[in-house]
Parts: sequence; structure tokens; C-alpha cells
Amino acid sequence: MKKIPLLFIYLLIITFSSCEKDDICDASTSTTPKLIIEFYDILNPIVKKNVTNLAVKEINTSSSLVFNGTSKIKIPLKTNLDLTKYSFILNSTDTAIDNEDFLQFNYTRQNLFVSRACGFKTNFTLNPITPFIKTETSTPDGYWIQNVEIITSNITTENEIHVKIYF
Amino acid sequence: MKYMSKFTFSILLILTSFFVIAQNNKIDSIPPKIEKYGVRFGADLSKIIQSFYNKNYKGIEFVGDYRVTKNYYLAGEIGNENITVEDNRLSFTTQGTYLKVGFDYNSYENWLDMRNMIYIGMRYGASTFSQTLNSYSIYNTSTYFPEAPTVISGEKYNGLTSQWIEVVLGLKAEVIKNIYLGFSVRVNRLLTNTKPDNFDNLFIPGFNRTYNGDFGVGFNYTVSYFLPLYKTKSTAKAEPKKKK
Repeated sequence: MKKIPLLFIYLLIITFSSCEKDDICDASTSTTPKLIIEFYDILNPIVKKNVTNLAVKEINTSSSLVFNGTSKIKIPLKTNLDLTKYSFILNSTDTAIDNEDFLQFNYTRQNLFVSRACGFKTNFTLNPITPFIKTETSTPDGYWIQNVEIITSNITTENEIHVKIYF
Repeated sequence: MKYMSKFTFSILLILTSFFVIAQNNKIDSIPPKIEKYGVRFGADLSKIIQSFYNKNYKGIEFVGDYRVTKNYYLAGEIGNENITVEDNRLSFTTQGTYLKVGFDYNSYENWLDMRNMIYIGMRYGASTFSQTLNSYSIYNTSTYFPEAPTVISGEKYNGLTSQWIEVVLGLKAEVIKNIYLGFSVRVNRLLTNTKPDNFDNLFIPGFNRTYNGDFGVGFNYTVSYFLPLYKTKSTAKAEPKKKK
């Protein structure tokens, strides 16, 4: 008779010890923001301009992100380094007219706690003195990127434009 | 009873059925009922056992109660916990001490000189603790770069405190003379919680794991010793209902 409470207690322990780690990071949570770049017409700087087959490739990464027919792109920044250097190749599908420029973004990072399920996120602050460095390829083909303008140096959300590129 | 949830009620129902089975003593005349009053103290076995088999956990909890009136007991717990939690995205260590005080109300009508309890109670709990963030991962929705290596932190947040209330549901059964086995489940709600900068109290000693809201759950499994201090003889309630 005295064993019955014991058995019952044992069952309850089993029941309650099995509820753990059931949470996943909600996709709507604001986590590490990407860099938002918007393209404008150099001849008419208030008009957005769509890019054509723009391949964006971090210089040490083999794959590239390709954007076509859009004036706004999102690209990730490295969360374990204070700089990310990208190659921007306009008209990347046509070797006759393609043009490659490099943009290196310099920034500082703040790691912020989000939640148990998501862990941390990284916010970026572009360097106030040299937020970016524009360079050419070794065989100069002229810059297609005419002008770069920093709109927001605190990169904390993806809801705003951080950089404007005029071409 | 009408305030209890279905779940709570059905647990009570199941519990009650066990004790009904136990009530087959055959005594015709009802002698005056002797009620013993005293203190009961013991420890939470589940924390001791966990400390042995879980290398990331060290904890102990002492429990005690004092019978104030026939059905009311002054009750409390005091404990210390040291736990390292290794989640997918972060790892942290929490250590600290807690104290809970409150009361238990025994809703179980004992037969003869049995002294079992099915009780509901409340506690006020307070904990003082520290958290160490061991390591974490950066969450990135972009998969363009391979996931950045885990960041080793080691940052320690001292002097954290939390207060909460608990609703307790439990039972205590006398298994040998004056030795009790007890089990209780608890639902906790935070009242105050000082969070560290840029981190959160994901575990609070005594409160257990925190969820997104203020609620938490806990349980303990105790063995305790009852030290009788004095007795009263209640003149058997006028014709107690005679179950056969």
C-alpha cells in the first residue's frame, strides 16, 4: 500500500522532466540586420535606378548574390570581423560590358542579447571617418559606382536605407 | 474547489482514490481523535539526486513546516542552486540562494490518527544570484556567410535578485512513523526581476527556468521527519459520516 504514492510521484517526475527546449527563434524577431543599399541615377539623383545583373560577392566567398531589376538590395556584413569587402559587378552576365568595383565597409560591432531561442544579434556602426573604401580592379575599367553616400551609419534594422549608391 | 482548474482537480481526484483504497481499517467505534502538532523538516531528494547524475547541476533544498492549526501549516523552503545550461544558441551558469515562505492548507480529512496531507498552499519566494554568460552564437538570417564561430564571453553579472509568488499543490504521506514522503508541483509568477544589461535571467534559483512571460513551474520530492511537540484530543466530531 505504501508503494502507491511512490509510484505516483515517479510518474509525475517523468511528466514534468520532459518539457525542455521546445522553443525556436521566431522569424519575425529582429536579429542581425543586413546592410540596405539603394541605387540612384547619377544624372538625376532623386530618381531610383534599377541594377542589371548585379553580382555582389564577398572577396573571400565563392558564391555571389545576384540582383536584377531592383533598386534596393540587402547584403550581410560579417559578424566576426570589423570589415567586409564586397565586389560589385554590374552586368555580370555579359563579359563585354561587365564592370567590377570594390567596396570595403568598415564598422564596429555590438553584440546584443535577443532571447534564449535566438541567442544574440550583431548591430553595426559604420566607421565615422572612413565608412567605406572604393577601389578598382587590377585591370582598371573605370568606376561604374560614381558616388556612395552614407545615409545611416547605425545599422540596427532593415527598415531603413543605410547606403545610397549613384551610378 | 470550484476555482481549481480541471487539471488540478483531476490530479486531486487521482490522489484521493489512492487514499480511499488505504482506508479499509475495520474499526467500529471511533475513539477520540488525537491530533499531533509539531515541526517537520526535510530535504528535496530530486535536487540531491540530480546533483549526482547531472554534471551541470549542484543543488540542495531544505524544507520545513510547522502545524499552526488543524489544517494550516506554516511552510517554507531554503535552497541553493548552481546550474549550467547549454542551449543551442547560448550557454550560461546561474548560481544563488533562495528562500520561500508561506502556508499550506491540508484539504485531506484524515482517518483516525493518520497524518497524511493533500494540500494547497502559497509561497513568497526571493532569490539572490549571479549569472555568467559562458558563450553565445550570433543569429543571422542570412546564410551567405558560414555561421560565425561561437563567441566566448565569460561575462559575469552579480547581485541579481528576483521575487515571486508560488501556488503549491502537493501531498505528504507518512511512510514510516514520523517519516514523510512528499511531492509538490508549483506554478510561479515573478513579481520583480532585476535583469542584467544585455542579458536575461533565463534561470532563477528556486524559480527555475524562465519563459517569455512571468510564469514558471517547479516541483520537489521531499523526505522529511516530523517532530511532535504536543497533542490535542479532539472530541470526535459529532457523528462523523460513517463510510464502510
